[in-house]
Amino acid sequence: MSIAFGDELVQKVRDGWIPAHIYNDTEIFDAERTRIFGRSWQFLAHASEIPQPGDYVVRRVLDDSFVVARGEDGVIRVLFNMCLHRGMQICRAEMGNASHFRCPYHGWTYKNDGRLVGVPFHAEAYGGDRGLLRDEHQLLPAPAMEIFNGLVFVSLNPDVEPLRDYLGGAADYLSFYTAPTSEGIEVWGPQRWRAGWNWKIAAENFCGDSYHTPHTHASMLEIGLTPQIKGGQRKTGGTYNAGRGFGATFGLGEGDLETKLSGIGYPERAVANRKRYWPESIKSLVADSGHLPSSMTLFPNLSFLHLWVTVDDEGTAVPMTTMRLWQPVSESETEVFSWFAVDADASPEFKDASHRAYLMTFGSSGMFEQDDMENWLSLTRTAKGSMARRLVLNSRMGLLHNNDSLRQPLEGFSGPGTVIQGFSEHNQRGWLNLWLDCMSADEPATATTTRSDV
Amino acid sequence: MNTTANEAGIDLRAVVDQGRPLPYSDPAHQAAAQFLTNEAHLLDGREFATWLALLAPDIQYRVPVRVTAVGSSKTDDLLDMEHFAENFYSLRKRVERLSTEHAWAEDPPSRTRRFVTNVRTFATGTDGDVVVESYLLLYRSRGDQLSNSILSGVRMDLLRAVTSEECKLARRLVILDDSVLNTQNLAVFF
Repeated sequence: MSIAFGDELVQKVRDGWIPAHIYNDTEIFDAERTRIFGRSWQFLAHASEIPQPGDYVVRRVLDDSFVVARGEDGVIRVLFNMCLHRGMQICRAEMGNASHFRCPYHGWTYKNDGRLVGVPFHAEAYGGDRGLLRDEHQLLPAPAMEIFNGLVFVSLNPDVEPLRDYLGGAADYLSFYTAPTSEGIEVWGPQRWRAGWNWKIAAENFCGDSYHTPHTHASMLEIGLTPQIKGGQRKTGGTYNAGRGFGATFGLGEGDLETKLSGIGYPERAVANRKRYWPESIKSLVADSGHLPSSMTLFPNLSFLHLWVTVDDEGTAVPMTTMRLWQPVSESETEVFSWFAVDADASPEFKDASHRAYLMTFGSSGMFEQDDMENWLSLTRTAKGSMARRLVLNSRMGLLHNNDSLRQPLEGFSGPGTVIQGFSEHNQRGWLNLWLDCMSADEPATATTTRSDV
Repeated sequence: MNTTANEAGIDLRAVVDQGRPLPYSDPAHQAAAQFLTNEAHLLDGREFATWLALLAPDIQYRVPVRVTAVGSSKTDDLLDMEHFAENFYSLRKRVERLSTEHAWAEDPPSRTRRFVTNVRTFATGTDGDVVVESYLLLYRSRGDQLSNSILSGVRMDLLRAVTSEECKLARRLVILDDSVLNTQNLAVFF
């Protein structure tokens, strides 16, 4: 199956002309199910959400429900949440702690490592082991599963490339957000809410749409919630493409790593940890190049954001990090899973202050995020109609009429990937190009495991 | 672990779960019920600055995230996450923002209606302070595209000096009935 538009239009999209209907189109979403979500790595949970043996959370990839469980052996496993017998969900809570899952339908019982250990009336109903060998049955595992910095990813494609290869240059940026100390991060949440907008809009926005910030989020500056730092500005920041990651940076002024990080509210221990544990490329990016990563989307639908917020009338700046999954429900509905992330070894006071900084700005009630949602909803609605099929949207910022680049990539940028200084949509085009690659490539493999006992 | 939950000083839930409500004829109950009705009127009328004046300077305003948990679990609050965990500063900032020309989430403004029912009032042992439990149904209608949301929950409030003109809201705990909110944002106050 080919996507709903031909080769000529594909080239147009690559040049930054986006057919408006892709933001609300049933056929395109049907193709995305297999071509995007059936083949990419998908984030499900962070290890800190299930710290103890027996802890579990239930998450999904589109319609596929998975239990992410830490076994009694401490190992994290991802199990398809469907009983091997008649297909009932074996776990219907969102989270909890259990050594076993018992299907409510007929009572088949599984250990939290997926093994079938209990079958009611085993002898009477099945003739015992002669009819049903419990040892040979286990809940279907995710076709592929890997963990990076505590981030648990799965893929519905058993032949997916190794996660580290998939991430490419995005790995160091991921470590900026998720590996600031030897203890890593802990995540709080998630807040979950759903509304009527297409998932791609959010994914692209978090690639670092720094152009929308001064306008959509003008109220943040007006009420003094975003502290201005000396010499710091978005204009001297940039937009980057690195592997499967697309992001933006904030331009920091002069100063070494300590000065810069303490200037935005990091306590001494957090600064020392970053100096020690961040990848070299990130340390140099912040200290030498003067770029502080702000937001990033890891293709396709996992995003991160870091910023600092004025949390009191004294002007105290506190940094915060959020991580969010844009979980599509349909072409016109998306559920957000939004977590707050913080250094696992930070003091309770810092965690609390940073958490408040998160709640004020992002998440379900966040003052930044509120206005984004309003835009995305309105855009999605308008993309449904017939006029939207006649309109190609202009996403060409940074390209001249002849498709040459307005500005060349920065020389001496320490981070992985290529960066263009100032406003540009080359990062969002990078994400969209990857989307096109997936949409135009052959159908991905489906899981070869079709029976639970092989 | 989040410390916010432990700062409140008074366990609103324990008062509501274990206390005996005051009779409806009690002046403290009547004053509390009237306070909540007036408050809803102010919020629905978008008189946010006037509403802010009803809040104590040390207010703690929490809306924990709720999760679907098995029946035997002790709580279905997500212990480390809220939708709101506000103090006076952050609530004031939210109000200030709504009065700017760039608060798109509420411009054009929503039409809201707060239905406040099932009010029960409890003495606290501190003269003039009461804990009030109320059910809240918040209807929010946006735009002309049948975009509306209904948020339902129970509120547990600490009101100070309840029978006087100086009555202030000092604590609010809102337990929502949804684990996944069916709304685009919480640009509204409970």
